[in-house]
Amino acid sequence: MYIKLTNGVVYDPVHGINGEYRDIYIRDGNITRKPSSNVKIDKVYDMKGKIIMAGAIDLHTHIGGGKVNIARMMLPEDHKADLVSKTELTRSGCGHAAPSTLTAGYRYAEMGYTACFEPAMLPANSRQAHMEMADTPMVDKGAYAMIGSDDFFLRMLASKKDQAAISDYVGWIINATQALGIKVVNPGGISAFKFNQRKLDLDEENKYYGVSPRDILVALARAVTELGIPHPLHVHGCNLGVPGNVETTLETIRAAEGMRMHITHIQFHSYGTEGDKKFSSGAAEIAEAVNKNPNISIDVGQVLFGQTVTASGDSMRQYAGHWHAHPKKWVVMDIECDAGCGVVPFKYRDKNFVNALQWAIGLELFLLVDDPWRIFLTTDHPNGAPFTSYPHLIRLLMDRSFRNDMLSSINKEAAAASTLSSIDREYSLYDIAIMTRAAPARSLGLKNRGHLGSGAVADITVYTEKKDKEKMFSKPDYVFKDGELIVRNGKIVKVVQGATHTLRPEFDMGIEKSLKRYFDKYQTMSLGNFKIDDDEIVEHGNGKIIVQPCM
Amino acid sequence: MSALTFTLKSQPKFTLDVSPITPDNLQNLTLDKIKKIKLIYGKEKVKVEELFAVKGNDKNEIIINKSCTQLICVGKKMTQGSIAVKGDVGDFLGQSMKNGIITIHGNAGSWAGNGMSGGRINIEGNVGNYTGAGFPGDTFGMKNGLINITGNAGDRIGDRMRRGIIIIQGKAGDYCGSRIHAGTIIVLGKVGKHTGVGMRRGSIILAKKPTYISATFQSCGNLKMQFLRLLFTQLSNISDDLIFFRKYGPIAHRFAGDIARNGKGEILILKTLTKR
Repeated sequence: MYIKLTNGVVYDPVHGINGEYRDIYIRDGNITRKPSSNVKIDKVYDMKGKIIMAGAIDLHTHIGGGKVNIARMMLPEDHKADLVSKTELTRSGCGHAAPSTLTAGYRYAEMGYTACFEPAMLPANSRQAHMEMADTPMVDKGAYAMIGSDDFFLRMLASKKDQAAISDYVGWIINATQALGIKVVNPGGISAFKFNQRKLDLDEENKYYGVSPRDILVALARAVTELGIPHPLHVHGCNLGVPGNVETTLETIRAAEGMRMHITHIQFHSYGTEGDKKFSSGAAEIAEAVNKNPNISIDVGQVLFGQTVTASGDSMRQYAGHWHAHPKKWVVMDIECDAGCGVVPFKYRDKNFVNALQWAIGLELFLLVDDPWRIFLTTDHPNGAPFTSYPHLIRLLMDRSFRNDMLSSINKEAAAASTLSSIDREYSLYDIAIMTRAAPARSLGLKNRGHLGSGAVADITVYTEKKDKEKMFSKPDYVFKDGELIVRNGKIVKVVQGATHTLRPEFDMGIEKSLKRYFDKYQTMSLGNFKIDDDEIVEHGNGKIIVQPCM
Repeated sequence: MSALTFTLKSQPKFTLDVSPITPDNLQNLTLDKIKKIKLIYGKEKVKVEELFAVKGNDKNEIIINKSCTQLICVGKKMTQGSIAVKGDVGDFLGQSMKNGIITIHGNAGSWAGNGMSGGRINIEGNVGNYTGAGFPGDTFGMKNGLINITGNAGDRIGDRMRRGIIIIQGKAGDYCGSRIHAGTIIVLGKVGKHTGVGMRRGSIILAKKPTYISATFQSCGNLKMQFLRLLFTQLSNISDDLIFFRKYGPIAHRFAGDIARNGKGEILILKTLTKR
C-alpha cells in the first residue's frame, strides 16, 4: 500500500534538505523512493504549506524504572491536579510532572515524538523498567543500563582487572538487561554515599573501594568503545548542582581522552562561583570546551519554571538537595546495594535568583554551542521540567524577542548576571530538526530513524508553520508512526504500540562464571532470573524488539 | 427567604457526587439553572432535577433531605454558608472545606473532613474511619476547623492532622490520633488500641482511661493544666450543644509522647469530673 505526502516543505538534515518541496512516499511502514508512474497510490495527503520532519526523538527522559514509580506514589497532589479522562481510543490517566505511563505515551505522540529513551535503568530494576515502558504506548522505547556504582564493577576495578574483563561485564549487562547504551550516574558517588562520603570529586577516591570517578569513567568509556556500542557513554557527572562544578565538568571532558562521551543534563553541571552570591554561569566555558572537543556531545536538561519533581539515581546529590523539597517530602533509598535512587519534588521559581540563573544557563548553553549535531533538546524530564514544555523551550530558542521578554520577567539579579540578552542567535527550523531528530538518531545508532530518506521507518511529523513556535510544535497536524496515521490535529486517532530498541554486543561469555559465583553469594536473585528474555518484553502484545547493529 | 432544599426522589443505585451543591457554587444561579447542574452519578452525568426535588431560594442555607450513604463529597471545598443533611452521607464529607458549617442528622462515612482547613462539621451520629485524616501521600490531614461527632468514630481518627479540633462524644476506634503533627482530639468515650502512635505534637484528651497505652508514652503524673480550663470554656462557648464541657476539670494524667517520634505530644486522661 502506497501513501503519498505531497507538496510539503521537508526538513531532513541527514540528507541536507533544508525546507524544500518534496513528495514523500510510504510503503508498508517505510519511506520509499518515488514509485514508477503505473503504481497505484492508495492514499494521498495534501501537505500544502506544511512542514514535514521526521518523528522527534527524546534521548533522555525518565519515563520508566523504579524512581518514576516512587515519584508517582509520593505525589498524589500532582495526579489529583491533572486528570485525563478516557476517550473512545485512549485510556484515562493523570499526572503533570510524573504522568502515568499511558498518559506519557499519548502526550509524547500528540507532540510529534515517536521515540523516547529512558536513561537510568538499573540492571536490578530492568524488569520493572521494561514493563513500564511496555505500558507506554505510541512511542518507540529503549533504555540505558546504569552501572558505575555497582559492587561487582567496583570490585573489578579495585582488584585491577584488565579492560577486557570489564568490557565483557558491560557487554553482559547490556545483553542481560536489553539495554541500548550505558549510563553512569555520579561515578562511584552513589556507592561512596553509603560509606558516609557526602561529596566525591573527580579524583577523590571512594573510601571503601579506593576507586576514583575518573577511573570509572575511563574504564566504562573504553568498554563502550571496545564493544562498539553506538551511543557514547552517557555520563551524569560528579557534583551535580554544586556551585563551582564547571571545573569538574571541564575536567570530565578532558578525562574522556578523546573517547566519545555524552554528558547529560549539562546545565546542572555548569555553575561557577563568581558574584556576590557565589553562584554564576559557567555556560561560556562549557560551550567553548564542547565546541573544541568533537568527541563530546551534550544534552542540556533545561530548567523551566513551575512545579516538577526531580528523580535521579544520584542519591548523594538528591540527599543534599532534599532541604529544598517542595512540597516537603522526599525519598532517598538504596537499590539492591548496586545503586541508589532519590526523588525530591521541586518548584522552580522565576523570582528566585538560583532558579532564574539556572534557566538562563541552560539557554546560554543552547545558544553558545555551535554544532546542533552535538547538543540535544531535553529538560531531563521530569527533573528540569516535564516534557510537555518542549514546545515552550523551542519557542525560547527560535524567538529572540520572546526570550528577551521572558528574561525581563525573571529575577533581576539573575538576568543581570546572565549574558543571555547579548546573544542574538535564533535557532532555525533546520537546527531544530537536527537537534530533535537527526542528531539523537545518529547518536543512538538508529540508522533508519530521524530522517526521511528511502529505507527509513515512516515516523513522520507534520506541522503548520506559525509565528508562535510554541503553538506550532505543541500541536502537529499529522503524526505517522510506522506509516500509520496516529495523530491528527494534535489528537490521537489510533493507538499503536512502539518497539523496544536493544543492542546485542559481542563479548566473552566466560564472565558468567565469576558472575554466577557473585550472584549466588551476594545477590537477591539468581543469575538466570536477572536476565530479561525477549519474550518478557513482547508478551501481552506489547510491541516488538528491534536489535540495533553495533559499530 | 426559605432554605434551598434538595429532597432526594428515590434511593440512588450508585454513588452520587454532590460536590457541586455548595453555597459557593450556587450563589449566582437561578433555581432553573440549579436544577440543570450535572452531577456525577455512577459513571454518568445526570441533572440535579432528575434525582432531587428542589425548592427554596436562600443559597446560603442548603438542606438535603432523605439523604443516604450513596451521597459522597457533601460540601466539598465550601467556603461559606451552611449545609444541613437529614439522613446519612457517604465518604468524603466536607473534603477540603475552608469555612461554613455542615450539620449531618445521621451517620457519615469515612474520610469526613479530609484535608479541611476551616469551618465546622457537626455529625449527630457515627462516622467511619479516617475522619480528619489526609489521603495516602498527603503531608497533612485536617489543617484547621472543628469536627464534632455525637456518636462513635472508626479507626485512625485525625491521622496526620495539622491543626484543629476533633470532638468524639462516643467511642473511638484503634489508632486514634496516629501520626498527628499537631491539633487536639477529644474523646469522651472509650478509645481503642494504639492511641496517638507516632504523634509529633498536639494533644489527645481522653475522658476515660484507656485499657492500653503504647510503651512509647511516658507518664508525667497528674497535673493541673490551666490550658484545659481555657479550652473547655472556649468550647462550651462555641455553641449550645457543647455546653457540657463546662463540667470537665483542669486535672489530667499526662502521658508525653510519642517518644519514638519526638515526644512533644501528649495524651491527657481527665481525672475528675468536677462540677463548677
